This record gives sequence, structure tokens and C-alpha cells, in this order.
Amino acid sequence: MTIYWGTVENPVLSARAFSAWYGKAQALRDVHLDIPERAVTAIIGPSGCGKTTLIRAMNRMNDTVPGFRAQGEILFRGVNIYAPRVDPVAVRRRIGMVFQKPNPFPKSIFENVAFGLRVNGFRGNIRERVEWALRRAALWEEVEGDLHRKSGDELSGGQQQRLCIARALAVDPEVLLMDEPCSALDPVATMKIEDLIRDLVSSVTIVIVTHNMQQAARVSDHIAFLLLGELVEFGPTREVFTRPRDPRTEAYITGRFG
Amino acid sequence: MRGLRDLWEGGLVLGAFLALPLALVALALMVVVTALQVGQLTAMDAVAEAGLTLTLRTLEGPDGAPVPYVQVAQVARDSPAARAGLARGDVLLAVAGRRVGRPLEAWRAVEAAPGGREIHLPLVWLPPLERALGTLRVERGGSEPALVLVAPAPAAQAQGLRPGDVLRKAAGIPVTSPRQAWETVLLLARQGEAPLELEVLRAGETAHLAFDPCGRAELLVVRDAWRAWVRFLTRVGDPRYPEQAGLLPALVGSLGVVAVMAAVAFPLGLAAAVYLEEFARPGRFRTLLDILLASLAGLPSAVVGLLGLEVFARGLLLGRSILAGGFTLAVLILPIVAIAGREALRTVPRSLREAALSVGATPGQTVFHQVLPAALPGLLTGMVLALSRAVGEAAPLLLLGAFLYVNYVPQSLRDSFTVVPIQIFDWATRPQDGYATVTACAIVFLLGLTLALNGLAIFLRARFQRRWAE
Repeated sequence: MTIYWGTVENPVLSARAFSAWYGKAQALRDVHLDIPERAVTAIIGPSGCGKTTLIRAMNRMNDTVPGFRAQGEILFRGVNIYAPRVDPVAVRRRIGMVFQKPNPFPKSIFENVAFGLRVNGFRGNIRERVEWALRRAALWEEVEGDLHRKSGDELSGGQQQRLCIARALAVDPEVLLMDEPCSALDPVATMKIEDLIRDLVSSVTIVIVTHNMQQAARVSDHIAFLLLGELVEFGPTREVFTRPRDPRTEAYITGRFG
Repeated sequence: MRGLRDLWEGGLVLGAFLALPLALVALALMVVVTALQVGQLTAMDAVAEAGLTLTLRTLEGPDGAPVPYVQVAQVARDSPAARAGLARGDVLLAVAGRRVGRPLEAWRAVEAAPGGREIHLPLVWLPPLERALGTLRVERGGSEPALVLVAPAPAAQAQGLRPGDVLRKAAGIPVTSPRQAWETVLLLARQGEAPLELEVLRAGETAHLAFDPCGRAELLVVRDAWRAWVRFLTRVGDPRYPEQAGLLPALVGSLGVVAVMAAVAFPLGLAAAVYLEEFARPGRFRTLLDILLASLAGLPSAVVGLLGLEVFARGLLLGRSILAGGFTLAVLILPIVAIAGREALRTVPRSLREAALSVGATPGQTVFHQVLPAALPGLLTGMVLALSRAVGEAAPLLLLGAFLYVNYVPQSLRDSFTVVPIQIFDWATRPQDGYATVTACAIVFLLGLTLALNGLAIFLRARFQRRWAE
């Protein structure tokens, strides 16, 4: 098979011969992938191809899933995060995550954003930092007056997801992993998140899993196509969409399956 | 196979449909029965507050059958009863115009007497021989023994009896001894034949005179249900008389035992729940713990009592103390708290844990800052229900050797104790009049307490439970 890796200079995250299992079911097979810095990389593929497994492997979020087992390496700035001495908590502090369904804490908007700062022992001005994170997530104007009055789950779905993004950004991660962040949102809220992704990419590396081909085309700089747990193709978005090298990629993006 | 399953499911449905009406019928029955009994508590209290303590006595009637009568066991000093002239040993014959043969009938008469809170209760009683007639002596000088009135009582003297009179007959019945004379008078007076005709021999001549041995007075009694309940719940009580029974020692005992139980079982149960749900990795050890917890939950309470007796009372030398009782109940309640806690933790969605972990919280921070606060309503509900279960538990404490009755309020955790359900059990097995009432009232109180605790649990659940959008 063709392996498209080693083409990215100074990758932030890299998968090297990475395989994963849930119990006896193999979810990923020998994946090699480089994530370029300060860019949006979209992981696409049909349902059950291992997209979510791969992105959750990148900050060891799968550790909490019973029966999960991994082989191979995920390198974060050259360090294998699956090495025995690596603390998954430390990994997650530098690689943030946004989930499919908005999952704000049942606490005030302020506490939602401040939680990451508190557990990380942040010593600066928490108020300023919360405002900074909310501004980065383009939510500040909408919630400025309700920081302490409103609970995170009283916001609209789109606002909740942006609150989750602000929560992740508050601890200033180097990478933001987004697992289908718009799948539960309406088109207007989706558009806002997509705009936000483009704004954020100047300061943070973004990996996004998406089901939606148009979304991948709109927001990503690079695309990784997964099929049945294998990485089929990786390349700049325009190339993958216009001149896919693998016939299976072409079949998928033209809508013949998926 | 299929038929069997249908039968089983049918049984379940039938059971579900039967359970509710049955529970309602049981509840209604309980309410009616207790309502009938509770009114009597007020009457018992009214009589006791007027200074009278009643007891049931019997004597042998003319046909050999036992005849019950109500004797005054105690008269409180300076009470309305004492001022009305009643004294210890008097036999109460009629209350508010009704003849009474048992204390129960006396209290019922007070309950049924017309009037409001304060009533003037007409009483008729027969004083003991010394005060009704006087001192009698049997003299065997003549052909047959003679019953001589040595010193007539003032009341008898006022009605014409003189020292030296020889008593021959009362209402035509020959009298031979002081005791027989008094019993005869009592039997006659019980039937309301007063004044009765006495035949006496005075200076060799037979004389007939009308004699009324009874005392009569109006007694001021106050029927106050609130006061009755307050007294009942706040006094130590006298084990001999139901109208003086008090629930206080059992209440304090229950409070102490349940407090010790909560201090032990709640932290341990919660810790077990948090460990098993949040930290334990799937494997043999967790499976083993699961099985142990389930077995502990299924332990019969009598077995828990034996365990408490051997381990806490004897092994740890705690004796039959509140401490031992609390520890024993903790063994029973711990699995309930742990299982309820696990249920509550399970209602917190995975996504909340992942949210906390994804910003760099440790598993410990995730549990203590996010999961536990989110599960708090469920945890509180579980604990309140466990409290209400513990308050009603009697069997393990009986086996531990808790006393049926204590006549003091426990002062420390090393004191021996009784609890409300055991006190109820004790009262329920006493045959004397009035204990049925006291038992019913204690049951009503315990039922009210349990209902209040369960109501609190329902309130907590409704008030704080959040619905997680899935």
C-alpha cells in the first residue's frame, strides 16, 4: 500500500505503526500519519472506519474505555505519549479536546472555563484568562453579562459547543482535537464553529473528525482518509479532492459509498 | 419453556397491579386502627395529669368467676385527684356515669365524656376497708366468730356506725372476715346497690342501717392531645403504668445508634461506591468486590445482629452499647449506601468525565470536582432512604442484646440503650390495658418519621435531580 508520511516537516503529532483494539475487535491497523503544525487536518471516512478512535488516541482519551489496547506509537513533538512513563494527564493538558455532543459542566459559564485553569494550578488572573478564552472562542460578547448567572447547559447548542472550545482553549493547548464538533448543531451554529476553526488555526494546531465532506473541504488544510481502520490517503485538501491517488478515496468523496 | 416465561411475566404484571391496592388498603387500615387508638392517648394523659394512675385487679366473684376492678395505684401529691379525696387503694367504680371494671373502660369513659378540653368528671369510688368502714377484728368469744368494728372510719361514724358494733350481714349476705366483708361491699357497690343495708348487732340488739361506703367527687381533667403527645415523646416513663409510658429513652437511643451508623456507613459506603464505579479496573478483584457487596446486601438482618454481638459487643468489648448498635446497623446499611451510591454515580454521563479529563484533570479531580457534585442529589436520596431504613430496624439490635426497656436517657455512646422499634415490640407484648394505645402511638410516630424521611428523599430527588440530555 502507499504510505503518505514523512512529507510533513516538523509534525506536531505523528502516528507510527499505530494499531488499536477494543477487546478483540481491531479498530485501527498500522496507521502512519503526520499532523502539520498551525494547520487544520481533517480525518474523514465512513462510519466505523476508526476516525474517532484515532483522534481519541491522540490525547489518550481512549484510556478510559474498558478493553482498549494500543500498539505502536503516537509521537507528540517527538515523544511517544504511549510510553510507560508518560502521564496521560500531562498529555491532555497540552492536547485539548472538543467532543461530538456539547458537554459543558453543570456549573456557571465562568466555572466551566475556569475549571481547567484550577486543576492545572494556574497562578495568573483567572478572570482575565477566562475572558481571553471566551473571546478566542467568539463567545465573550454573548455571555459577558451571564458569566456567573447562567449555567453552561442553559446556553444554546452552538453556544455550548463554543463554551466547550473556550474551556479547552483556556489552558492554552498546543493541539485542539475536535471529534465531529458540529454533528449536533444546526447550519448557522455550524457555520460559526467553522469560522472559529479558521480563526484559531493561526495559534493552535487543529485536528477535526468530520462526517461531512463539504465541511472538510471548507475548513481543512490537509485531509486524512481512513477506511476500515487503515489510512488510505493523506494530503493537502485540494489535492485529495481534485486528484485523489487512491481509487477508494475517489469513490468515497464522489459519494459512491459512505 | 415459553409457557413458563409467560406465566412468570403474567405473575409480575399481576403482582404490580395487586401491590398498589394492597399497599393502600394496608395503609388505610393502619390509619384507621391507629386513629382509634390515638384518641385514647389523650384520655390516658388527661387522667394521669389529674393525678390518677390506674391498675387492673381481680377478685373471686360469688360464682367463682374472676371479677375485674379498677384500683388506684398512685395518686400524685397535690394533684386534683388528691384534692378530690382520692387515695391509693381506692377502687374506681364509675366515671362520668359509666360503671368501669377495667382501666380501659375508665379511659374510654373519659374519652367519650361530653364537653370540651376541660371537663368536670363525676367519679364514684370505694375506699379501702380502713377508710370505708374502719378497723374490723374477728372475735371468737361466743358460739360463732363475730366481726367487731373496733374503730369506725369517720365516714362510717357519720352514717351511724359505732365502735363495738358487730357486723352481721351486708344486703342480706353474711359477713365473716374483714376481707370477705370488704369484697362483699365491693361486689355490691360495683352493681350500684348503694346505699346498702347493713345488719349490725349493737348491745345485744339487731339493728339495720343504710350505709353508703362510696366516695363521690367531681374531678377536673384536661383533655389535651398536643400535651399528651409531647409528654409521651419527652418523658422517661414508668414501666409499670402505660399512662406514664414515655418514648424518650428509645428516641435518644435511636438517635445515637443511627448517628453512629451514619458516621460509619455513609463515608465507607460512599468510598466503596466511588472506588467501584470510578477507579476499580475491571478484573477479578472488582468482580470479587461486587460479589461481596451484593452478598452483604443480601445478608439477613438477624445474621448481622449475630455478627454485631460477636464482633462488636464481645470481640471489641463494646458491650450492648450505642456504639456497638451503631456499628451493627452500619454493617446492614453500608451495602445499601454503596449500591445507591453506585446507581447515582452511574447516572452521571461519561461525557462529563471526559470533559473534565480532556482539560487535564486527574481522575481524582474529575471525580471530586465534577462527578460527585453532579451525583449529589442521588447520593443524598440514597443516604436519606438508608437513614429511614435504619430507624425502623429492630432485629439486629435485638440479637445484639439491646434492652427492651431502659428507664434512663442514655448519656454516652458506651451506655446501653433501646430503640423505638424495640420499644414498640416491648409494649406490644404487654397484656395490660393501655399498652395497645401506647404501642399504636409509637408506631404512628415511627411511621410519621419514616414518611418524613422518605418525603425528604423525594423532595431532594425532585428538587436537584438534573436530566442529562443523551
